[in-house]
Amino acid sequence: MLTRKLKRILPRVQKPARYVGGEWGSVIKEKDEVFLRFALCFPDTYEVGMSHLGSRILYGLLNNEPDIWCERVFAPWLDMEEEMRNAGIPLYGLESGDALSEFDMIGFTLQYELSFTNILNMLDLGGVPVYAKDRTGLKHIVVCGGPCAYNPEPLADFVDVFQIGDGEEMMIDFTNLYRRAKQENWSKEKFLREASQIQGLYVPSLYDVTYHEDGTVKAVTPRDGAPAFVQKRIVQDLDNMYFPDTLVVPSTEIVFDRAMVELFRGCPRGCRFCQAGHTYRPLRKKSKEVLLKQAKAILDQSGYEEISLSSLSTSDYSELGELADELLNYCEEKRISLALPSLRADSFSIDLMERVQKVRKSGLTFAAEAGSQRLRDVINKNLTEEDLLNACKIAFEGGWNNVKLYFMMGLPTETNEDFDEMSRLCRSVAYCWRQHTPNRARGVKITASTSCFVPKPQTPFQWDAQATKEELDEKTRYLREVMKTKNVTFRWHDSDASFLEGAFARGDRRMADVLYTAWKSGCKMDGWDACFSLEKWMDAFAACGLDPAFYANRQRPLDEVFPWDHIGCGTSKEHLKREWERSRRAETTPACIDKCAGCGAAGLLKGCGCHV
Amino acid sequence: MFKARMRFSKTDEAAYISHLDLMHCMQRVIARAQLPVWYTEGFNQHIYISIALPLSTGYSGECEFLDFNCTADEIPADAVERMNAVMPRGLSVQEIYPLSDGGQKVREIAYSKFEITWEFDDGVPENFCRDVEELFAREEILILKRSKRGEKEVNIKDLMKGISLEQDTDCVRAYAILGAGNNNLSPEYVTRTITAEYPQYAPDGVSYHHLMTYDTNLNEFR
Repeated sequence: MLTRKLKRILPRVQKPARYVGGEWGSVIKEKDEVFLRFALCFPDTYEVGMSHLGSRILYGLLNNEPDIWCERVFAPWLDMEEEMRNAGIPLYGLESGDALSEFDMIGFTLQYELSFTNILNMLDLGGVPVYAKDRTGLKHIVVCGGPCAYNPEPLADFVDVFQIGDGEEMMIDFTNLYRRAKQENWSKEKFLREASQIQGLYVPSLYDVTYHEDGTVKAVTPRDGAPAFVQKRIVQDLDNMYFPDTLVVPSTEIVFDRAMVELFRGCPRGCRFCQAGHTYRPLRKKSKEVLLKQAKAILDQSGYEEISLSSLSTSDYSELGELADELLNYCEEKRISLALPSLRADSFSIDLMERVQKVRKSGLTFAAEAGSQRLRDVINKNLTEEDLLNACKIAFEGGWNNVKLYFMMGLPTETNEDFDEMSRLCRSVAYCWRQHTPNRARGVKITASTSCFVPKPQTPFQWDAQATKEELDEKTRYLREVMKTKNVTFRWHDSDASFLEGAFARGDRRMADVLYTAWKSGCKMDGWDACFSLEKWMDAFAACGLDPAFYANRQRPLDEVFPWDHIGCGTSKEHLKREWERSRRAETTPACIDKCAGCGAAGLLKGCGCHV
Repeated sequence: MFKARMRFSKTDEAAYISHLDLMHCMQRVIARAQLPVWYTEGFNQHIYISIALPLSTGYSGECEFLDFNCTADEIPADAVERMNAVMPRGLSVQEIYPLSDGGQKVREIAYSKFEITWEFDDGVPENFCRDVEELFAREEILILKRSKRGEKEVNIKDLMKGISLEQDTDCVRAYAILGAGNNNLSPEYVTRTITAEYPQYAPDGVSYHHLMTYDTNLNEFR
């Protein structure tokens, strides 16, 4: 794997261990003995990509097939890319060191819009044509999946196939079809036509899009027997779903360097801004017994000193207390710590945190999302001030003195009064600490951070205008004024990147030109502040005759046809519309464990009943 | 509980693991191998290990030492096999022994032997070996040595216990015994000394491989 050329450049780049592979748990196969070589690409750095549970699952799943060799590919950091281009080293798989162009199938996970330029850059650096139409044979089939595949349109010109929904079963159906195609020597066109018949697979080249004069979509018309509506694919039973019993353990530090198990898929909460909450439905849980078995297996194999119980809303796992206790028995003896991300701000959760974090007390983060009760009702964040203060009280009594409060700004219907409330809420938390801390001398650190709300497709807010840069700057200015409270640190984010994210999130096929132009002008790693340049992006939009505000800042009428309307996320558009209407009346919708809201996702389950 | 030491090598891919990452890596290897080791107590409990004279990132080595505390009565007979079965590529353990079995103190380390490879893509320049041998035969070669306390001019020869060259078709390998520990001399200074004297001999690539560790009497460190 380590060629002389590579050895020359590695001493000159930052963190070279990211580029050499050889980690414990990485899979080496004989390349002449496999039928399909799959490059599983994460369009960001190694540290980010290796932290992603989904990629770890797919890596195990594909390598579990004896005749498939799946390798990992990450975007090199700028210094490494420059060295590679200078030395003529193409982007390579970490297992074999072979160029991306040697692979049959190239898969990208789409976790966030700002990674799209990296996809083009990685293909190019790997010696693979970026446009789908320029890849003519059965080699180099580019397949994408993940959250951003729920509006795949901005990538339609570059990608051959999108996998919509859970990848675990669909991926195997897809590689089986590819195996047949290769054996029977199909053309790429035939392969793609056949692929479009598999549920959950979307082949963008088989759809024609027409537009109205005002730039909105008129119609999306399938060709060659492709389905008019591609409903996502789900795994019915998480207990029997594939889950790896081995993990690749990085030999260098990554962002989330720990073992992970997934408690359930889907979320009962239905927060109206949240894409995951609407696209991972219906709720399906893994049993405690299976989780314990899987957790022990990967902990023994990996030697990790921390395991996280992951899900979209961990407090909603019905057996969480018992699971945590049983897992703790195993972990304490081995000095393994337990991480519980995505906990709700309620007393049960804080009690649990206290039990779990006997030694290491990390900071607590509460996602309040909005400052006022009215606005929390608009976004359907079913959290009251009382809940939050109760949770803080228990936490402060338990000795925590580091609390983070997370808010969004730019939410629909938001006014300065909501910010006044946010400031008041933070003061209440600070007061709560003074009243309940056992030791005032130690001081407290309360951090309130805001990020800019980006309306996402397949959510109730998909009709809403994103706040403009001017509006957001004004909001930030106001917030900085009112958030001047003792013991509270206020943090905010720059809105430029959110604006681009907003344009791509609800973009259409014409955005492909912008993406290509921006990449050609040097845009990449747009998720990193150090790399992002709005100026270059605005130039690219101008060069392509498109206005990003049309995508980001436009309030859509309720009857508009969206570029992603032919992609099904399980939740019906009617339900999303109802939720949008309720949001304008600040009416909440109960969690689905309490009352079914009829979102439509249950129809994907055999027997049509959610497992809640 | 008693102190124990393992001798390991760090080559190929593993050469690029930084010292801090290596510590972490080894802690996980030990956890996977389920060796009876002592954990630190306190806020952040972790396996206690200490690595003697860590290699620079990018260097390989075959005589590295890692100390830990064993909590069993003796080191399990299959400890080496258990470790090697769960190592990342490029790391392997050769021997694990209690410190009482002739183990020296880390501060007794005085010298390291390095293999330095200078690569020349268009072939080794004529007279390279002759000129370099002549250079290092001098009584005094003054170099600027950087340390935490700033730059200092030193005679590199005071920190060297000999160097020999071996020429290949497109590279030259040097075997140099250099000061380690308190009088440490990075093998990079050897390369720098040559290129300072003979800029035309700048190699296309250099690699450094740590071969052996010695005490003050040039006995192999154990």
